[in-house]
Amino acid sequence: MTFDIKRQETFSRGELILRTLFGWLYIVIPHTFILLFLAIWGAILSFISWWVVLFTARYPQSFFEYQVKLLRWQWRLNAVTYNLCDGYPPFGLDSELEGITFDVEYPETLSRGTLLLRLFFGFFYILIPHGFILYFRMLWSFILMFLAWWAVLFTGEYPASWHEFNVGTFRWATRVNLYWSFMTDEYPPFSGKP
Amino acid sequence: MNYHPLPQPEEIPVREREDAMGAYLMMFASIGAGLPLPIINLIAAIIYFFVNKKKSRFVHFHALQSLLSQLPTSLINAGGVFWAVRIFFFHWEFSDAFKGYLIMAAAANLIYFIFSIIAAVQARKGRMYYLIFFGRISYEYAYRVREESTEKAQNLPPK
Repeated sequence: MTFDIKRQETFSRGELILRTLFGWLYIVIPHTFILLFLAIWGAILSFISWWVVLFTARYPQSFFEYQVKLLRWQWRLNAVTYNLCDGYPPFGLDSELEGITFDVEYPETLSRGTLLLRLFFGFFYILIPHGFILYFRMLWSFILMFLAWWAVLFTGEYPASWHEFNVGTFRWATRVNLYWSFMTDEYPPFSGKP
Repeated sequence: MNYHPLPQPEEIPVREREDAMGAYLMMFASIGAGLPLPIINLIAAIIYFFVNKKKSRFVHFHALQSLLSQLPTSLINAGGVFWAVRIFFFHWEFSDAFKGYLIMAAAANLIYFIFSIIAAVQARKGRMYYLIFFGRISYEYAYRVREESTEKAQNLPPK
């Protein structure tokens, strides 16, 4: 999996304030409205794909590509909403936002054993260990985002290490999500590094 | 009438076979969406058809056959839901006629389920599988060669 949000040299203070005051209105609501329906379709495809993987050990490629595009759109929205980059996230499953990279290699085969293992024991060996650490990491990320807001407001720069940490948090969470959603058989590492 | 030639299984890429198989699996859409309503399956089948019909004639055929074969079952299920709502919320009688209707609906759903799974497996193998009545209609729409329009062009370049 490739996941990166490139840190800009300078951030716009005007956009920061506009997003903070009105972002929920002109960014979140329009995108979320459309993503809601796309996510329902994604849930249907995911449910069907589970059974297809169980019987054929293969995730239908069209369905897989749809899920990746959907995740890519969600991350475009999240990156802007969490002030990790400026700009307006474009609409569309095939759109891209400069500076945001998200790609998942299509697995030719998936393990049926791991699929069943995830179903019955996933809560214990995925959600508990990763969830426990990610919970605290997310808390720290939100604190850093709050502090970074002030840093951008006064200096126009997002501190590099904070940006890297926050992107790493989301990278880690995405890896867990991909494994949980049986889009990869690679167990997610306990790290946010690329 | 002329028809486009039918591809043989070995000529059909795996991706197309999977797309064709996916059409029949839209009958599980309501479970996937978490909304146990018969209309969800039909809506999902319609969306799947329009999204995928241009991919290839093979996918077009299977998507259309899946959609058309789902219509009778969806109508029967919708009728059952309507009748059940009337019984539970408007105090209609839980009559023998309703019991008979439920048995008929269960049988129809079971038949549809069995044949859809067979069709999905055949589609995955790259084979054309024709359901009774719907197979012919779907084949006509997907593979018939349509004649070019003979109307005179209205927009012409400048003289």
